[in-house]
Formats: sequence, C-alpha cells, structure tokens
Amino acid sequence: MTANAPEKKTFWQWLATIDRRILYLVMCLVVVIPLIAMLRSTVEVTSPVQDVFNAIESLAVHQKPLLVSVDFDPTSRAEMYPMLTAILRHAFARRVKVVELGIWQTGFGLAQRALNETATEYGMKYGEDYVFLGFKVGVDAVILGMGENIKKTFPVDARKIPLDSSPMMSSIRKLSDFGLIVSISAGTPGYQDWLLYAQARYHVRTAAGTTAVSAADAYPYLGSGQLTGLLAGMKGAAEYEALDAQHGFKQASTLASTAMPALSYAHIAIIILVIIGNIGFFASRRRK
Amino acid sequence: MHISTDPWIWISALLTFCIFSFLVKDNPLYKFAEHVFVGVSMGYTIVVVTWSTAWPDLFEPLFVRNFAEVSIGAKVLLVIPMIMGLFYFAAFIPKINWTMRIPMSFLYGYAMGVYIPSDIQANLLKQIRDTLLTPSWLTNRLPQDMKATVALVAHTRSFNTIVDALLMFIRGPEGSRGGIGPLIILIGAIATITYFIFSREHKGILKPVANTGIIFLMIGFGASFGYTVMARLSLFIGQVQFLLHDWLGVI
Repeated sequence: MTANAPEKKTFWQWLATIDRRILYLVMCLVVVIPLIAMLRSTVEVTSPVQDVFNAIESLAVHQKPLLVSVDFDPTSRAEMYPMLTAILRHAFARRVKVVELGIWQTGFGLAQRALNETATEYGMKYGEDYVFLGFKVGVDAVILGMGENIKKTFPVDARKIPLDSSPMMSSIRKLSDFGLIVSISAGTPGYQDWLLYAQARYHVRTAAGTTAVSAADAYPYLGSGQLTGLLAGMKGAAEYEALDAQHGFKQASTLASTAMPALSYAHIAIIILVIIGNIGFFASRRRK
Repeated sequence: MHISTDPWIWISALLTFCIFSFLVKDNPLYKFAEHVFVGVSMGYTIVVVTWSTAWPDLFEPLFVRNFAEVSIGAKVLLVIPMIMGLFYFAAFIPKINWTMRIPMSFLYGYAMGVYIPSDIQANLLKQIRDTLLTPSWLTNRLPQDMKATVALVAHTRSFNTIVDALLMFIRGPEGSRGGIGPLIILIGAIATITYFIFSREHKGILKPVANTGIIFLMIGFGASFGYTVMARLSLFIGQVQFLLHDWLGVI
C-alpha cells in the first residue's frame, strides 16, 4: 500500500504542474473583472491602421467607391466583426459608397448584419449608397470575373435586385473602378487571394484586416507595399475604433476598445504564469 | 442588469457554457454543442451555396428559363459543368468512381494555370524586390536616419528617448522602412534560406549563417506565438462580452 501511494509533490513541483483548471479560473477572473469594472485604456494608433484610415479618407476626397470583402465566419466574430463595423462606419460617415461581398459562405449573415446596422445609423440608402453582392462560389473565378465585369459575375445582388437597376452600380463596372479593397480576412480564402488576383493583376489598392494569428504572415505584404494598410486582430480593431471616435463619427463602436484592458491584463497574467511555471520547473530540477 | 428575453440569446449562452465545460473535462454536453455546431454550419453552407450559386447560375437557366431567355448554346454550355459536377458523386459507386478524376484534373489544370503566374508575381517577385537594398536607401535614407539617431542619443534624458533612438536606428521614422531595417531583412532572408539547404552539411561558412537563420526563425515563431495568444484571448473575451452584455446585460 505504501509503495503505491502517490509521491507527495514539493512546492516547486506543484508550481511547475499547477492544475490547468486553476489556470483557466485565473484567466477567467482576469478577463471578467476588467469588463465588469468597465475599465478603459488609451489606444495608441499604429501606422498600418492609420494607413487604412487615410486610404478611406482619400476615397471620400476622390469620390471613389470602397469594396469590402467579408472573409470570416462566426468563429472569428470577436476579432473581425468590430473591424468590419468600424470600417463601414468610417466609410458611411464620409459618404463613401460601399459594395460588400463575401468569399466565405458562413460569413453571409454577419456581412449582412454589419451592413444593415451601420447603414441605418447614417441613413444610407440601399442601391444608391451601398450594395450587398452576397456570396458566390469559386474565389479566384469570382475575383477574376469581377476584374473583367462585375455585372456578369453578379447579375443580381444578395436581395435578387439586378445590378443594372442599381443607381450606384452604373459607374462601377469592374474591380479597377474601386479606389480600395478591404478584405476582413480570418484565413484562407482571404486577403491573399485579393492580393494575388485583384492587386497584382488589376492594380487595385488592397488593405486587410486579419486575425492576430495570421497577422505575422501579413506583415511582409505590408512592407512590400502590396497591402496599403493592416488591422491586426482585436487590437487593430480597437485602434480603428479610436480613430473613428477621434474624428467624431457618431455612434463609433467600442466593441474592441472596451476589450483592451481585459486583453492587457490577460497578457500580463500569462507572462506571470509562464515565469512561475519556469521557476517551478528549474527549481524542482535543481533539487533532484 | 437587463437579462435578455430573446430565446436565441439564451440558446447561444447555454451552448457557450456547453463548449466551455470542456475546460473541466470532456463530457456529453460539450459533444452535443460540438455536433450542433458542425450540423448547423453544414446546413447553412448547403443553403447559401445552393441559393447563391447553384440555383441562379445553373438550375434556373437550365431548367426554369425557356429558350427565348437562354439560348440553346448557353444551355449546352451549362450541361457540361453540371455533368462534371455529377462525376464527383461517382465516388460513392466503386464501378465508375474513376470518372471523378475528370473534373479533378480539369480543376487542377485550371487552378495551376491561374494561380502560378499570380503567385510568382505577388509572392515571389515583389517579395524579392522588397528584400533588395536600394541605392536610395544607402545614399539617402540610411545617412538621414543615422544622423537622427545620433541627435536623439545626444539629447537622451529619459528611458523613452533611449527607446526612440533605438527605434530610429533599427527602422527609421515609423512606417518609413528606414534605419538598418532593410539590411536586417536582407541578412534574415539569406540566413533563413541557408538554414533550409539540406543537400550540404552545415559546415564551414554555412554553419554560422544557418545558425543565424535559426535565430531569425525563432524570432518569427515567437512573434507568431504572441499573436496566437492574443487571438485566442480575443475570442474568449468576445464570448465573455456576449455573455455579460447580450445575455446578462451587466455591461
């Protein structure tokens, strides 16, 4: 009996092997408390986010339309939806005409919701100020088709209204008529497809909003100038929301901004836990 | 506190708890929520694909519209992709499952033809061009940024100005890709590619260069890991926001 009894852990061993449920509880508290306490933090705007903002500002000046591609689904809603609404709010506040579509079929509902929500706030009219093309199968074929003739690729929009009858689409025939493409992309297909087929072939300025996971992969495109700007994860969305608020756009969203303190504290907690785990690991190894 | 009365919000909240219950241990509630998620996603996908593409682009012009609206030639052209698509279902009939190779080979051929030129242009040539050091960087950007760095160092009064000087030295003014940044990128690219030379033993000059490549790779992995942590936390925070705002109405 004594031989089979579990060996009692030393403090250092316990430190190196803390039960994961305790860690989950710590993380939960670290996230929930700042949200309930409604803590706020200042968000410093980085240049890739400022570049996206400036690009949309230039659309307002040059009266060019914006193409927004909703390339995510509900699984990445927390990161991507605030980006989408922040960009749409900015565009509508500056009276930029918006065409929205999606190359992820499961993002259809979110794309529709974001457009309806923001367009109503600014009194934008469907068909005159914005159009939702919906979803079509075949990413590369869709983008290349739009590069030649949008109305052939999408004869009707998501509401089954022929594009020919839409006043704003009379001046938008192909991709090169857009001043900017913004792909809010949670993976593949996504911003890389817009770079491959729209930016490289039709030379349309392209910006991206990506999940934090894929942000590191997007930076080389930013450096090479292929991407006009970049919103990386929830932090990128919070920066854009801060820009919207700074410029006084009414009802600027705060979905991502309010999450920033919780995100910061959670990062600090993870760093502390990593240090504690390492101390426990090295101390228990030394004692052996 | 304004607890939601919307039944869909309640269903979402309960399914959220079912998924989070996996953190304690695997259990039937988690399995139930997982299966609901997969089923709903698949059902949603089928409906959206059918009504956005299959019906308006294939079935409607082929079977609903008459010859006055869609010419016979156009109808024949639609029959070809339909048959190609049906070949995929041959996977379920062993005797004729070889026919599946026809649409697959067609798709591969099409995809390669479209993808390779664009990929070379966007992912290879533009990235190589961006890695090269330009004469304007060497003659203008670098001396300018070094002067600015020296000026910042000369006026160093606080920790922040030391950081500013360091940033100016490494990358130049924000967003400019100046400083010694382009040189670091060039060294990083060469060293990392060298690490992936497996046809020669890493000896002599190859060894230190490949080891430098490992350092760059580790920095890259570290950055990716940091971003991954942020992404996962963001998803969790988003769901907590849903529970506290949409469901319980406490924030």
